[in-house]
Amino acid sequence: MSDVPSLEAEVATLIVRTLTLKVDPAQIQPEEPLFGDGLGLDSIDALELSLAISQSYGHQIRSDDPETVATFASLRSLCQSIEKHRTK
Amino acid sequence: MNTAALLCSYRADSVLAWESGHPITYGHFLSDVEALADLLPEKATVINLADDRYRFLVGFAAALVRGQTTLLPPSRAPGALAQIAREYGASYCLVDGTEQVEQLPSYRIPIGTGSPTYTAKVPQIPLGHPALVAFTSGSTGSPHPNSKTWGSLVAVARSTGARLGLKISDPMTVVATVPHHHMYGLEASIMLPIQHGMAFYVGRPLFPEDVRLALAEVPSPRLLVTTPLHIRACVAARVRLPHVECILSATAPLPLSLAEQAEALFQTSVYEVYGFTEAGSVATRRTVAESAWHVLDGITLHQESAGCVLQAPYVRGPIPFPDLVSLHDPHRFLLHGRGTDLVNIGGHRGSLSDLNQKLNEIEGVQDGAFFLPDETGTSVTRLIAFVVAPGKVAEHILSALRTVIDPLFLPRPLYLVPSLPRNETGKLTREALLGLLQELLKEERHGT
Repeated sequence: MSDVPSLEAEVATLIVRTLTLKVDPAQIQPEEPLFGDGLGLDSIDALELSLAISQSYGHQIRSDDPETVATFASLRSLCQSIEKHRTK
Repeated sequence: MNTAALLCSYRADSVLAWESGHPITYGHFLSDVEALADLLPEKATVINLADDRYRFLVGFAAALVRGQTTLLPPSRAPGALAQIAREYGASYCLVDGTEQVEQLPSYRIPIGTGSPTYTAKVPQIPLGHPALVAFTSGSTGSPHPNSKTWGSLVAVARSTGARLGLKISDPMTVVATVPHHHMYGLEASIMLPIQHGMAFYVGRPLFPEDVRLALAEVPSPRLLVTTPLHIRACVAARVRLPHVECILSATAPLPLSLAEQAEALFQTSVYEVYGFTEAGSVATRRTVAESAWHVLDGITLHQESAGCVLQAPYVRGPIPFPDLVSLHDPHRFLLHGRGTDLVNIGGHRGSLSDLNQKLNEIEGVQDGAFFLPDETGTSVTRLIAFVVAPGKVAEHILSALRTVIDPLFLPRPLYLVPSLPRNETGKLTREALLGLLQELLKEERHGT
């Protein structure tokens, strides 16, 4: 679990780079919502992000998985899901 | 009165919809429609917000039976719904579950309440009945209504089916990644199936793994109704899809190289559908084989001085194309790009002048303009906005925008600037905005 903070920094950078957001990755609050009111991401972003995550970590995200809503809830939950399912 | 049946070429015991591996037959459907039609309030129009494709269809069909018109709002932004509700005072909403829409009575669409009807007469709907109203964003700032008669929906469904060579004896099942609240989704994932005795999957898969699972849940032969965005994601993820007879793509141009990769990877044929809200689906092409678009049967093209127009027996008057096209012959055309006012973000079409008007109506905004950078082709290009709003912060303007525009059009980023580079006549040219953007980017790089 000691790797989680560094993974959070890595994934925050991946999010900002993939979605060309105008925020500093370090400014993304780990517990803040990624979609809706937080970073304001939408379904196109979810698709782009899922692709970047599968390419970087080999984790295929699916939306009928009861975990997915929770997965995309925040940077922290996303990283926990990647940690659990990553193949690279 | 001339009518067309709600359903065509179906059998009461054949499957109409697949829900988590559970089949819903045409007979069950007729029973659900009959039951709901009796319950609907006596109103002229209904906003159908159901996300479940089957529930949506039950609501749509019950409204048709009762002679009501279904409204398809351009987005679910509270401001957009409120505006439509104001203009169509007699409305109510149909929803999947228990959601409530502000200031509008909302009713849940019940399904599976009765026993399947195998003997019921299939409802006949008058061809001229205004079955639905789809809205496009107009340059005036208020959504422009496009009324669709039942006859036009049936005609487009049948001509699309004929073009794809759908065999009635071996009905396909449609899996769609697109919502049925827009014309393409409604035509390809609802009207096409019910007019050809086909079935559909009730959900809307998003991620490549979802698409694979949804296809695996329904029997072969399968038809995937999707967009370039989803195709790109499936190709990039190298997902192993179950066999699909055919993939339909619409909402944005499909790059040739992507079409080639998809055909090779998924061992299938990829067809693009071109259409726009005012006319519905207009033409198709197999991207790997042809660059010209072949119009659907019944549509003819004409070159007029102001541009290309199309005519069809089911639409009123010649309709101009919103995009730049050139005629190949009366049945084929080439597409050269979109009109200067149009933007297309991830398949959602909008008008820059409409977006600019909404931006400038926000309290505290003195001047503002949206700008679409040149597309890079690798990912979805987003809009940028330049805003003059002394004393305001970007978050304030963004949250105000969020209530009035489709979230896909939210600027990324929104730059607060002291003034816009308008010329002497007050015009903002694309070059001037591009120059402003380059200056801002240069400042960012220098960390100022």
